[in-house]
Parts: sequence; C-alpha cells; structure tokens
Amino acid sequence: MNLWAKQVLTIARLEVRKAFLSKRGLWVYVLALFPAVIFLVHGFDVKLKRQRWSSQITDHALLEGVQAGETASDVRMRLGPPLMDREFGRRRRGEDGERLEEERYRHLRYFDGQRRYDFHFTNGVLKEKFEQPLATLEENSQVFAGVFQYFYLRLAVFFGCLGIFMNLFRGEMLDKTLHFWFLAPVRREVLLVGKYGAGLVAAAVIFGAGTIVTFLAMLWGLDPADVQAYWQSAGPGHLFWYTVATVLGCVGYGSVFLAAGLLMRNPIIPAVVILFWEAINGFLPAVLQKLSVLYYLQSLCPLPPPVDKEVPAVMRVLLAPAEPAPAALAILGLLGVTVLVLWVASRAVRRLEVNYATD
Amino acid sequence: MAVYKRGYQRYEGTRTTAWERLMVLPRYSWSRLITQRLVIAVLMMSAFWPLLCAIFIYIANHGELLAGFGQGFQRFLAVDGNFFRVFMSVQSVFAIALAAMTGPGLIAPDLANNALPLYFSRPMSRWEYVLARLMVLGGMLSAVTWIPGLLIYGMQVGMAGSDWFSKYWNLGLAVFVGFLMLVLLTSLVALASSAWVKWRVVAGALVLGFFFVLAGAAQMMNAIFRDKAGSLLNPIYLLERLWMSMMGIDSPSESEPGLVQCVFALLGLCGLMLLVLERKLRPVEVVK
Repeated sequence: MNLWAKQVLTIARLEVRKAFLSKRGLWVYVLALFPAVIFLVHGFDVKLKRQRWSSQITDHALLEGVQAGETASDVRMRLGPPLMDREFGRRRRGEDGERLEEERYRHLRYFDGQRRYDFHFTNGVLKEKFEQPLATLEENSQVFAGVFQYFYLRLAVFFGCLGIFMNLFRGEMLDKTLHFWFLAPVRREVLLVGKYGAGLVAAAVIFGAGTIVTFLAMLWGLDPADVQAYWQSAGPGHLFWYTVATVLGCVGYGSVFLAAGLLMRNPIIPAVVILFWEAINGFLPAVLQKLSVLYYLQSLCPLPPPVDKEVPAVMRVLLAPAEPAPAALAILGLLGVTVLVLWVASRAVRRLEVNYATD
Repeated sequence: MAVYKRGYQRYEGTRTTAWERLMVLPRYSWSRLITQRLVIAVLMMSAFWPLLCAIFIYIANHGELLAGFGQGFQRFLAVDGNFFRVFMSVQSVFAIALAAMTGPGLIAPDLANNALPLYFSRPMSRWEYVLARLMVLGGMLSAVTWIPGLLIYGMQVGMAGSDWFSKYWNLGLAVFVGFLMLVLLTSLVALASSAWVKWRVVAGALVLGFFFVLAGAAQMMNAIFRDKAGSLLNPIYLLERLWMSMMGIDSPSESEPGLVQCVFALLGLCGLMLLVLERKLRPVEVVK
C-alpha cells in the first residue's frame, strides 16, 4: 500500500470514531431513526386496535349497505352499537362572513374485521362515509415511499450530511484544532479524502441502517402472509434500492457540504440555497431538475411518492416531475458530480488559511 | 504610611433611564447587522414579493384593465383573506431565513467568549438582556413582515374604499398580530439555538432545521398515522392556522387539531425556547 493510501486510512480511522461517537453528533441518530420509531408506534397501534375491535365486528354487507341520507338512529339501530360515537356542534361562517346557525355533527365508527368504516352525520343525516383498511401492505408501501422521498432524503439525509460533513473542517475551525492537521506531514488533498471517507462511512452506516430499520418497522404489524409474499417478490429489491438511494444521497450531499464548508465561511448560505433548489425541484423544467442531487436519488426509488391531496390544483398543474434517469446513469451521474465537487474542494483546501478569529 | 491607597466616590452624575440602557444593545447590533452584505441582500429580496402584491392590488382595483377578461380571472384577482394568507406565508420564509442568518450571531459569540459576566456586571438583568436581543431580531424581522404587510393592507384600503374596509377590517389586525406571533417565535428559536450550541454556524443550521425538519416530521407522522394530530409539531402550520382563524378563512377538516390546541402548542414552543434561554444564559458557569 502506498504512503497516501496509508495516510488516508489513518486519518479516516481517527475521524470515523469522532463522527460516530461525538456527543455533538448524537442528533444525527435521532434524525435517522425517527421514522422507524413512528412506524413502530403505528404498527403497535394497529395491532392494539385489531385486538380491541375484534370483539365488536359488524357484518361487511350491512356496512356496505349504508347509504347517504340515512339518519344516525336508523344506522345505529341496523348495525348495532358502534366502536365510537362522537357528537359535537360547530358554528360555521358563511361566505359573506356572517355567522350561521350551529350545526350538529355525529361520527359513528364500525369495524368489519379488516376495514374500519366512519359515518359522518350532519344534523342527524349521513353526509359522508369513509372506508379505510386498518393497515395494508400496499398502503404502507405508498406511505413509506412518501416518507422516504419527502422526509428522509430531503430533510433527514440533507441535514444529517450538513451536520456530519460541515463538522469535518468547519468543526475543527470552531474547536481551534485544524492547525494540528495542517502541521502534520500530509498533503491537504490526502487529508480531505481521509476526512470525506470518514464522514461518508458514518453517514452511510447511520442513514443506511436507518432506512433498513424503517423499512422493517413499516412491515411490522401487517398481515404476516402479506409480508411473506412481499419478501418473496418485490420486497428485497425495494429494500436494496432504497438503501442504495440513501447511501448515494450521503455521497452526493456529503461532497457538496464538505466543499461548502471549505469554500464559504458560513455554510448555511449554500445550505439554504440547496434546500430551496431541492424544494422547488419538481416545479422546474426537466433540464433544470437534472441539476440536483434529488433528481438522481428519486430515479433510484422503486415507487413514486404519492401526491398530497391537499396540494392546490394550480400547484399540481405546475408539478411536472422529469422522466426518471436509468439506474446506471443516475449512479454514474451522482458519482461523477461527487468527484467534480471533491476536486473543487481539494483546490479550496490547498488555499485554506487557518483563521480562528472569525468564527 | 500605606503603600497602596485608593479612594472611591459614588457616581453622582445624570443616570440613563432603564429604557436607554436597554436600547444600547439593539442600537449597536442593528448598526453592525446593517453593514452585512448578506443581510442587505435578504432584505432586498424580501421586498420583491410585497412589490408584486402591490402591483396585484393595483390591477385588482382597476376594473377598466380587466374589462376583457372573464369572470374566473376577476375572481382570481380578489383581494381577500386568501390573498393575505399567501402574502404572509411567502414573507414568513424570508423571515425565517433572515432569523437563521442574523439570530445566531447575537448570543453565541457572547457565550463562546465568556462575555456574559461583562453584561451582567452592569445594571442589566438576564431577562433584560434577552429582551434587548429580541428587540434586535424583532426590529430586523419587522422590516420583512408586518411593516410591508400593513403597507399592502393600507394600499388596498386606500384603493378599494370604505366598503372593502368595513367587510375586511379584521385582515389588518390579523396581518399585524399574526406577523407579531411569527416574529416572536422565530426570534425565540434563533436566540435559543444561539444560546444552545454557542456556535454561530451551527446555530444557523439549527434554526433552519427547527422549522423545516419539524414540518417534515409532522407531515410524516400524519402520513403514517393517517391523521392530522402530528401537525401540532409543525410551527408553520400552527402559525398559519392562527392567521387563517383571525382572517375568518379557517375551515379545518374534522381530523385537524382545533384552534385552541394550535394556540397552546404555539405557546408551548415559545415556552420551551424561553426555558432553554433561562438554562443557558448564566453569567457564571460551574464546569465539573
């Protein structure tokens, strides 16, 4: 092994311990594992509800037979006592701003063993009927796709990488310890690669593991037969691509934030710019969408994220996701951008002067 | 004969008032902040949206310009609660960005350089110090929030006349009080972050993280639980509910949290930030 490789490994070994175990970086674990905890709580909640409601199952055909316009007392008489019976009043404001008379609302809930039925009555008459499975694999997979792309990639991996990679050089500046590294007989480019490697290992392990644990937590609480069938079909492939997308997210965002920490005294500015750019990504023309890390990561995700029903119609019209890139191209594109950014960072680190006074 | 002798005399001159003493910190901070190019840039950028809204109001109030357009377009140009809600939502993004840039530099350097004993050895309590720092941020954020908001509202009242004012008098109040709430929350978050991590750069990231990660976490919880109760974690949602309620356009679905819950959650967040400041702002720190 040549000298530079040995130096890179030594630096990475020293840094990786700091990246994993520093008290300052514990919040990254919280960020990575938070979705898993929420999915576990949901799984527990589903199990508990199924157990509790199983004692009061209503016939499916009877529930399907309930039509809009029926009165609450009729429905209750036909279906029997509900799981939940809630009644309340609310005054609503009219379009002209004047207050209207109070309206009485009543919600009844039933369970047929698989699905829950919610009947919403206004002034005693059935207005809306909602039917929802307690939890299904298909639904949970959709929710996971949304959580992964909207929360995990855009926020958790983004801010986690910001914290981990910014800390590599800017953290040393704040601690007033960077000069120790610069006094060592090692090329600055080697130092950069060693530190980047350490940050990448930490971020990839923490967030990669977070993805796997969250995926497993998503499946917990579902019907075991469905889960087994999923593992024998698309499950392993989905888990693999989600993990690859997470690791590549760490590779891409890591290089960007490492370079930002070297090029700018205040890396928050590029962070805000990148956050804004990634947030409006879906609304940009296809060519511009390809100039973001998120585009390539989304191309690797096995399922598209669901579009929020509450998004205004105008926004939905403007939302035009570009055609996803082929997996090989997405991976090569991200790695290419990373090499380019690291090259820019290596130029910056050669010119870096230690100035502790400004921080 | 004494080898060292020093006498003291009580200061008998004119004393400054408590208010004047309090204003020393904001005065110096404002003059320092206003020299930063980045702050100027954000302030200028934040003026674009009010300018666009002013043009919108001008067009909306000149019926002759809209003669050739259909009913749908004229409805789109209505200046009502929804218009001001969108205006406030956009300006709040600039307010958060400005707070993330300017707020962390207010307390973190004092803590990092052990300067608090110097402040507190003067006639200034901890809460006066916090109030002074809040005034710094409050002043900066006012320039992008309620001041342009009230100017826009005033312009609309001036152009639309008394009929519009008598129907929508509450919008002006909502803009003012709603923005004050936003200024208070973002300022407290920025100050608490600054006091918590002691480093300017990290504190800035924390301010952004507080608003964006909490919003994302709330959405995630809503999606997983197929519920809306997670929205209580989202400070932007809480503020928007408060604004909409004051504007009379709040129509939450059954599963959404009530207004009272939202207000309590907002107050809880503010209380949490004050607790952080209370714990972290100590003139003397015992390191074991």
